[in-house]
Amino acid sequence: MQELVDETRAGSVRAASRLITLLEDNPSLVPQLLLRARDWPQVELILGITGAPGVGKSSVVDRLIAEWRVVRPDWRLAVVAVDPSSVFTGGAVLGDRVRMMAHANDPQVFIRSLANRGHLGGLTLGIRGIIRVLGLLGCRLVFLETVGVGQSEVEVSSVSDITAVLLAPGHGDSIQMIKAGVLETGDIFVINKSDREGAERLSAELRGTLKFTTARVHGLPPEIVKVSAARNTGLSALREAIEARAEKLASNRATMRSSGERQEVREFLLEASRHRISAVLEKPGVLEKLVERLARGDADLATVTSELLSSAGRAYCGDRTDPTAPSDPTDEKHDS
Amino acid sequence: MKNMIPEDIKKAAENWEQKTVKKTIGKFPERSAEFQTVSGAPVDRLYLPDSSLCDQYSQTLGFPGQYPFARGVQPTMYRGRLWTMRQYAGFSTAEESNRRYRYLLEQGSTGLSVAFDLPTQIGLDSDNEMCLGEVGKVGVAIDTLADMEALFEGIPLDKVSTSMTINAPASVLLAMYVAVAQKQGISADKLTGTIQNDVLKEYVARGTYIFPPEPSLRIVANIFQYCSREVPKWNTISISGYHIREAGSTAAQEVGFTLADAICYIETAMRAGLSVDDFAPRLTFFFAAHTDLFEEVAKFRAARRLYASIMRDRFKTQDPRSMMLRFHTQTGGVTLTAQQPDNNIVRVTLQALAAVLGGTQSLHTNSRDEALALPTEESVTIALRTQQVIAHESGVTSTVDPLGGSFFLEELTNCIEEEAKRYIREIDQMGGVVRAIESGYIQREIEQSAYAYGRSVEDRRRIVVGVNEFTSNKRTEFELFEVPEEVRNRQVEKLNQVRASRDGAQVGQALDALRAAASDPKANVMPPILDAVHAYASVGEICGVLRSAFGEYEDSYSM
Amino acid sequence: MGRGRILIAKPGLDGHDRGAKYVAHLLRDAGYEVIYTGIRRSPEQIVNSAIQEDVRLIGLSLLSGAHNVLFRRVVDLLREKGAEDIMVFGGGTIPPKDVPGLEAMGIRAVFTPGTPAEVILSTVSKLLGENRSAGAS
Repeated sequence: MQELVDETRAGSVRAASRLITLLEDNPSLVPQLLLRARDWPQVELILGITGAPGVGKSSVVDRLIAEWRVVRPDWRLAVVAVDPSSVFTGGAVLGDRVRMMAHANDPQVFIRSLANRGHLGGLTLGIRGIIRVLGLLGCRLVFLETVGVGQSEVEVSSVSDITAVLLAPGHGDSIQMIKAGVLETGDIFVINKSDREGAERLSAELRGTLKFTTARVHGLPPEIVKVSAARNTGLSALREAIEARAEKLASNRATMRSSGERQEVREFLLEASRHRISAVLEKPGVLEKLVERLARGDADLATVTSELLSSAGRAYCGDRTDPTAPSDPTDEKHDS
Repeated sequence: MKNMIPEDIKKAAENWEQKTVKKTIGKFPERSAEFQTVSGAPVDRLYLPDSSLCDQYSQTLGFPGQYPFARGVQPTMYRGRLWTMRQYAGFSTAEESNRRYRYLLEQGSTGLSVAFDLPTQIGLDSDNEMCLGEVGKVGVAIDTLADMEALFEGIPLDKVSTSMTINAPASVLLAMYVAVAQKQGISADKLTGTIQNDVLKEYVARGTYIFPPEPSLRIVANIFQYCSREVPKWNTISISGYHIREAGSTAAQEVGFTLADAICYIETAMRAGLSVDDFAPRLTFFFAAHTDLFEEVAKFRAARRLYASIMRDRFKTQDPRSMMLRFHTQTGGVTLTAQQPDNNIVRVTLQALAAVLGGTQSLHTNSRDEALALPTEESVTIALRTQQVIAHESGVTSTVDPLGGSFFLEELTNCIEEEAKRYIREIDQMGGVVRAIESGYIQREIEQSAYAYGRSVEDRRRIVVGVNEFTSNKRTEFELFEVPEEVRNRQVEKLNQVRASRDGAQVGQALDALRAAASDPKANVMPPILDAVHAYASVGEICGVLRSAFGEYEDSYSM
Repeated sequence: MGRGRILIAKPGLDGHDRGAKYVAHLLRDAGYEVIYTGIRRSPEQIVNSAIQEDVRLIGLSLLSGAHNVLFRRVVDLLREKGAEDIMVFGGGTIPPKDVPGLEAMGIRAVFTPGTPAEVILSTVSKLLGENRSAGAS
């Protein structure tokens, strides 16, 4: 891994993308990387983009990239676009890049598509590590794009400095349908396809509802911006709004970033624990025995849980004396 | 659609099912639990007489040449005149294509059909770097009027009917055709032919779009207007279902999406101030013919009947000619296999027969090597002979709509019409075809049908002879037609020569005038394009001006 | 861990994407992560995308007859950018007699029209397994 780190620091796109794959495939490496990466060059701005499928996230990102390429030509930009994996097959079609191909030959733009691989939160575990790699490569601005399903809006905002929530008229996005979490995590609400009928109404409804939500942690009230990616209007105003906000946040950024990292390590620990416990439960006969004991009243839930936790701990250490766990040692690969 | 089976027949049918059929199935089960058309529509064991066909004959079927045109658009159909045998051709250079056209005309082909290479179809010159490897491959390369003149050298344009498969830059190629005729001393009002000019299907099925939908529709309206005055015998659009079907849609989707596109074009023209009866009689359609014989015949009849009702009820046309769905058919390229290519001759025969039984106005039959490359002269001849045998030896041309009245056919016709109507309603609710394209609805529907079909072949629920059944390891050695790479060099050389010898100032002026016209939504772009073409401006230069005025379409639909 | 990342691309001007989309679906259903580039892409765009996405395999779909020129350009570019470990397979309207030439230039497999899904999937699987055993990190 060190070799890839060095090459990435030297500006190798290939090395950076391989390093990202390494983290994607081995999220257990992330906590170590985060610790090592303290002295790495940092991304200046992580911009989260979320919204329902079809509202035009990738098209807006595509236009924003064009904007920033003009006003900050020396900045390297990156996009991380996350799409859900199929729960049945584990595979995925990652189609966001299609809308951003105009930048495929621009050496200052790095685009990476990721499948969320069943991560419950909707984002890949270790996304923060991936963003650190992009920082090391020299990217100053990262767009983090995800579909708004499940809890992903909330996750995106915990990783992003600024979160933009995209809506569009005619997409069933009337305010009633926006989940409460989204309204509270959005910093900028972008109404795309603003030339369409219903855009004004959507904007008015949104304004009304936002009056009652609390502003985000750093005290800046949310704002609404109208754009049309298709007609290329409003994008400069959007960029300016983002930059203005970023400036105001600058002092807070370090605090926000490290609390976010702690959050992720916490998530990782919970996830790893869940894996180990699952491994014990999946052994033949274990679950059935526990259910029987509970049914007979031989033990209560609290006791069983404690036993399970000890089994999981011991199984990992290879201890075979535990009576509730069969003799096979736990498979060491369960948490990668 | 509920058909009305007389009670006594219904009872007898039940009896037959309970006694005779049950006994037989006990001994010989049917080959499958269910039978479906190739598009996935269910097919019953037996179809019975429908009394509504008699009781409401005039409304449901009527007479050929009269509303609702279900049985045919002309009263005598092939008894009067056979369909036009029009074989699509064109490759590499204009000179070679010219030779192939003269060969086909000698062999009895009655109309010319021009295929252009991808650079031309996308409005790029042969020396553009995006065109690497593409020049002259899928059709003829046309950069300037000089190429067009070579293409029709020795072919009197007032004596042939030419169909040009060109869409986004149709305005340019049509202008070139008119210019060539003018140089032959023929006035535009004598010209007959067609330009495909159907941009809407490009966005969902074929991919050779240039500009976004709205300016593209404006160009279409300009062409309608221009032709109604200057080239009145010209078919200004061939609204296509063929490519939608090739992309994987079902038969009902082919009809539904095509007619939805037609509705959009008609509305566009009317918004531009044209009255529907001024241009509707010149609208034509283009469908595929696949191998499920009855489904295809039903499809053509359903399309005719549905279109007639749309024109009468939705657009309130007065002229019966505006209600007639006239169409060209091409046998389905996607049905042909690389394995055992001679099987394709059989497939094409069935498909051509379906088109004829379905009442097509003109027909292109594919060659057997279609799956592999552009066809050889021998393969093309067999394809033409297929049409000639059907025309003169099969007997189906002796009467109009010979399959009419088949209980199976009429039921299928009704079902396809109903399903197509549903798609049109769905698209109307979205706000029309352009919205449906932007939201990805049409693309998604097509993709799903394509995937379902693909899986059914993989699972062997659907047999394709030579592919998943009756396979052989024998490899047929073919003399496949090849387009040599130096075609591009010759073409670029020619282009440079034209650029060197033309009047640069004239070109500049013409392009400026075009730029001004393009930016004025009320102007018609055809006259300035014609001037530019006469000045030997290139396809790339003309489309370049239009690209800067209109922008380029970016496909935002993904999977 | 995912089964493998694959880029499906349409080089050149040909706009027929039915086959490319079908193969993308097929691969997804087999558990792969597929990045689709859309139509009308230059070899440069395709190779740059493949590197950023760190795919192990690129599938090129082409029905216009430009395969000899464009496939070669993709292979050459991969080499120029030090990414020749990314394997390439192709499909579309490719005459059987062109296949040996394509294989000689580095295309690992060519799927002519009508190739059954099992063949595509087992070939892809073999290609990905092959590379692993060849000692790539």
